[in-house]
Amino acid sequence: MIERVHSLGRGAFELLRRPLSRAFDSEQNPLNYLGALTIYFCWIVLISGIWLLIFFRTSVSTAFESVEYLTHEQWYLGGVMRSLHRYASDALIITILLHVIKEFVFNRYRLNRWFNWVTGIPLVWMIFPLGISGYWLVWDELALYVAISSAELLDWVPIFTDSMAGNFMSDDVLSDRFFTLMAFLHLIGLPIFLVFGIWLHVFRLNGPRINPPRRMMAATLLCMLVLSAIYPAVSHEKADLAMTTQGLRFDWFYLHVYPLIQAWSPGWVWTLLVGISVLLTIAPWAPPARKTTVAVVDLDNCNGCKRCVDDCPFGAVEMVPRTDGTSYSHQAAVDESLCISCGICVGACPTATPFRSRSALVPGIDVPNRSAADIRQDIIDQAESPAGEPRVMVFACRDDRQTEAIRKAGANVVTVRCMAHLQPSFLDFVLSRNHADGVLLLGCEDGNCNYRLGADWMEARIARERDPRLRKRTDTSKIGMAWKTPLSDISGPARKLDAFREALRRGEGEA
Amino acid sequence: MKLLREVIAWGLFAVVVGVLSVWPRYEMVDADDAIVSVTFSHAGKRVGECRTLSQEELNKLPPNMRKPSECPRERHPVRVELRSGNDVLYADQLAPSGIWSDGKANAYRRVVVQSGIHELFIGMNDSGKENGFDYETTARVDIVPGRNVVIRFDQQSQNFLIL
Repeated sequence: MIERVHSLGRGAFELLRRPLSRAFDSEQNPLNYLGALTIYFCWIVLISGIWLLIFFRTSVSTAFESVEYLTHEQWYLGGVMRSLHRYASDALIITILLHVIKEFVFNRYRLNRWFNWVTGIPLVWMIFPLGISGYWLVWDELALYVAISSAELLDWVPIFTDSMAGNFMSDDVLSDRFFTLMAFLHLIGLPIFLVFGIWLHVFRLNGPRINPPRRMMAATLLCMLVLSAIYPAVSHEKADLAMTTQGLRFDWFYLHVYPLIQAWSPGWVWTLLVGISVLLTIAPWAPPARKTTVAVVDLDNCNGCKRCVDDCPFGAVEMVPRTDGTSYSHQAAVDESLCISCGICVGACPTATPFRSRSALVPGIDVPNRSAADIRQDIIDQAESPAGEPRVMVFACRDDRQTEAIRKAGANVVTVRCMAHLQPSFLDFVLSRNHADGVLLLGCEDGNCNYRLGADWMEARIARERDPRLRKRTDTSKIGMAWKTPLSDISGPARKLDAFREALRRGEGEA
Repeated sequence: MKLLREVIAWGLFAVVVGVLSVWPRYEMVDADDAIVSVTFSHAGKRVGECRTLSQEELNKLPPNMRKPSECPRERHPVRVELRSGNDVLYADQLAPSGIWSDGKANAYRRVVVQSGIHELFIGMNDSGKENGFDYETTARVDIVPGRNVVIRFDQQSQNFLIL
């Protein structure tokens, strides 16, 4: 059932991914940096917010005028900063939403990834009050509406003795203290919790993508600046407590739930919000996912080189003092609660080389459900009955319809857990032992690696920039990476295969 | 060509952000309508009479606890009713706050009304009697479109204020 939901979701996500894949290289595709983009938008919000804070006056009588000064008198800087503050805040709601949807439909929230998923939910609960309290501070008609509706929502919670909403009914009962509280929450309280929450969200990951590529950062900032210049954010009329608010220019990113407060009741809105949060929180275990086997360390072949620790995307491998009495100081140890059996540690292990002939292929670390020895044997078996000309050995990171399609299109296919599951010597093994004329790595499309860093590590190993490096004798023109240009520009695995074969024939494959 | 596609993609993103941050407009009330807001906090009368303690009873108490009278903590709920002419706009019985039901009762309600002249009546009962009101006010109010008419209970004058 849940797999069906994931599958339908992936289909819907494709509708967005496909056009964006045509517009962007995988390195520049915003869909591959949704979390990092969200953090980047937070930076824009923070820096623009600091400028606004310098000129903002925290009181009922002066707040509106100070924002008006920024918007109109200081339009060239304060106005732009205000618009940036507003639009970056809105944009990050889009990236958060897409981030959540993407992680869900690609099933990256269950098993040992539950922690990142669950710690993301409080972040959403912080982001919305942060944005909503910002609207409050402007103290225009929209702020009055937000203040009254928020107070109605909070009044439903039986922890306040007096009605908070009643404070916004007439000028004589409205005090600056509410502004002080809101300013504290918006400027200090919530941002501090948010920073801590983001750290908690990513700290278990190895090499989390905190920042998007520089070019993407520049494009994003330019996009926000152009929007700010063309359509600057402005206030409504100053809040008048004697009048009700009508015809509000509504920020649906943050305030979408507010009309429901009037249409339903605060109680039902709380039920909706808490219900969604509870559903999201229990999602990793509903239904429970089948636990995969985890990586296993073989001390006879582990020399404590630490490469597996460096490459594990989930921080599941650590170095511990040696236990077998050998002269090495440390050995690898796998944390079962973090390992998701992606095999990237195997690809990082210098002993996972298929050229070993004196002893059985048992690397220092291996995944039992797809061992290095199995992969080597599979390569040898596949090579005995070559399909197509020139002969292409395809390594695919999953066994799905796309893999089946490329098999039917005439290629020998060997499945691995992740592209970086392959130690680069396997590529050398295929080519130098003449098991194929070329190697096509059919990794996750658009660099959208299911195990986060697989494509990055494999690219770096092939480029001989990261250990274990591809041997110099290996002709990289015979290695194709499906997620990189020019192959990434071609849709469909069969057409990628054709293009790669054509390049091999011309003697100009790519890597 | 690729650059153009990128520009278009970012442009569409900006349009989505720009549009959804202000549109569609939200109308909380129709242009011809207004709001009457009832908001006050008021403690109902105690459910029982206070009793004066005898000197003998006072002597039994520690010196710092010798209050001359003893009152039950629990208070009556506050009943409130707002009418425009014969139309009841809001009627409720508000429980006292606090786990001992000894706190104030909070009234808060916003009612959408058509603009125009209204004969507003507000009544409140805090003594627990079933009929009639302990406090009531009637006023003829010309409510303009978009107005927020606020009705509060002034504790000093023990009367309703229609602002």
